[in-house]
Amino acid sequence: MKPPGIGAIVLCMASLGPVRTAAAQSSPAAGPGRLEVSVGALWIGHQTLGSNDANETTPTGGSLKIFTTASDLAGGTGIEGRIAVRLTGSLEAEVEASYATPQLTITLSNDIENAPTVIATERVQQFTVGAGVVWYLPFRGGTSRLAPFVTAGGGHLRQMHEERTVLETGQYYHVGAGVKALLFSRPAGFVNAVGVRIDARVLVRMQGVAFDDGGHASPTVGASAFVRF
Amino acid sequence: MRRPLAVVVAAALVVGQAHPALAYLKFGVTVGGRQVALKWAQTPVRYSVSNQGITDVGVADLQGAVDRAFATWQAVPTATISYQFAGITAAVPGRDDGVSTLGFQNHPELDRVLASTSFLVDRVTGALVESDIFFNTAFLWSVAPAGVAGRYDLESVALHEIGHMSGLGHSALGETELRDTGGRRVLSAEAVMFPIAFAAGSTAARTLKADDVAGITDLYPEPAFAQMSGSVSGRVTRDGQPIFGAHVVAFDVAHGTSVGSFTLNAQGEFSIGSLTPGVYVLRAEPIDDADVDSFFDATRNVDVDFRVAFVDRVVVVPRAGDSGQVAVKVVRK
Repeated sequence: MKPPGIGAIVLCMASLGPVRTAAAQSSPAAGPGRLEVSVGALWIGHQTLGSNDANETTPTGGSLKIFTTASDLAGGTGIEGRIAVRLTGSLEAEVEASYATPQLTITLSNDIENAPTVIATERVQQFTVGAGVVWYLPFRGGTSRLAPFVTAGGGHLRQMHEERTVLETGQYYHVGAGVKALLFSRPAGFVNAVGVRIDARVLVRMQGVAFDDGGHASPTVGASAFVRF
Repeated sequence: MRRPLAVVVAAALVVGQAHPALAYLKFGVTVGGRQVALKWAQTPVRYSVSNQGITDVGVADLQGAVDRAFATWQAVPTATISYQFAGITAAVPGRDDGVSTLGFQNHPELDRVLASTSFLVDRVTGALVESDIFFNTAFLWSVAPAGVAGRYDLESVALHEIGHMSGLGHSALGETELRDTGGRRVLSAEAVMFPIAFAAGSTAARTLKADDVAGITDLYPEPAFAQMSGSVSGRVTRDGQPIFGAHVVAFDVAHGTSVGSFTLNAQGEFSIGSLTPGVYVLRAEPIDDADVDSFFDATRNVDVDFRVAFVDRVVVVPRAGDSGQVAVKVVRK
């Protein structure tokens, strides 16, 4: 026979436990160890790749411009997915992947023999795989169903030209902020919560189809649905 | 057994006006009914320097200038051709004696020809046997490091002629304007193998350009590079009809370099090889900056009645492969 005092304490803890958990799960924030899977759409803004002139050498060793090229990776949409794990109450680590098909455009102009300006194009398949962190901000905007956060990450960039004969590789980095909103949550069960995530980031791509090794920044907006287990 | 030999062609670097020459990117010779690229079967190519100097350019100066020019071609890392100085000789250029000789000769009748290269070819194999170069003493010459006003730079002109000696034809990568007095003035060139020389005093053509490097590499490819480089090919048409003799330039957007070639058959097809893999844009233009016969046999019907045009797609050259057929559509002038 157990001392009654101990039994009461155990019972009390058992009954308090679900209450605390339910309170936490009504917020997009979750306890350590929780997994979260998200899939959604992203929009990546225009990326300037630089310009380069076609020059010829003059008799004095100078340059004569024959025509000008200006290259861009046009803005476009894609898909992205993440698997995140909660490390602490406010910090999450995630692996991420995305796929998009931006258009590479090269504007050919200022021809010395007055060739009409032309925009040469091709569709590029872009894949990214990387990792990032999400830090939940301490304020919740007056509701427990919203969780604003800041995020940063980076990884490997692969861009394949349209004819699928040349694969360019590089790196990407991003930093941004967003908010998660819970649409559904429950205290128990395999699926713990369902919600949406919206964020805005600055995406810096290096190398890949770019014609230099420098970083090229683009605005990026993502919207995804997540399921927390 | 003595093989049948023949002098097949003389290619020249000219002043202001092109001299007839059977040439495009590579020289061709017909052997057994088929066209083969004219090239040396064995290297190093041995050359001798004539023992005749001129005022202000002695034999040692002549040898120094041509040695530097040979070294420039030999230094192309993607090509295997090499050259070897065989000595000073009493032989003169243009004599079929089995000795490739470079030297001065006086040809006042060739009043626009700075220098010229001739070949002796094995008609059985198509291989080069001998090639001579003369520099026309009807003009003033200099070997000064920075050039001398009013004198043509011997090293620059030797570099061009040695390109011919190695099997290269003329490149059309240049811009010219007509002179009031006749002939053309070169505004710019992006190939040592452009058929018209820079004005006297210039030393700007002592450096090989991407087009020259691609040409010599195409003829004598270094095996490892051949596995790393690619090509672009396609067809030029106007109203659906093929264009012969269109100059097509592939511009490497990342590196800012240009390599050109021509449509060389009745189908209007072109191919540009030995390109660094990457992103290119294409520009097609008629031959209008030098005489057509600087590039093609006068019997060929070269079409120049079309406007300069860009291709509206990005062209990607893969490693050890071809871009795939690129359609280049042009319109009448």
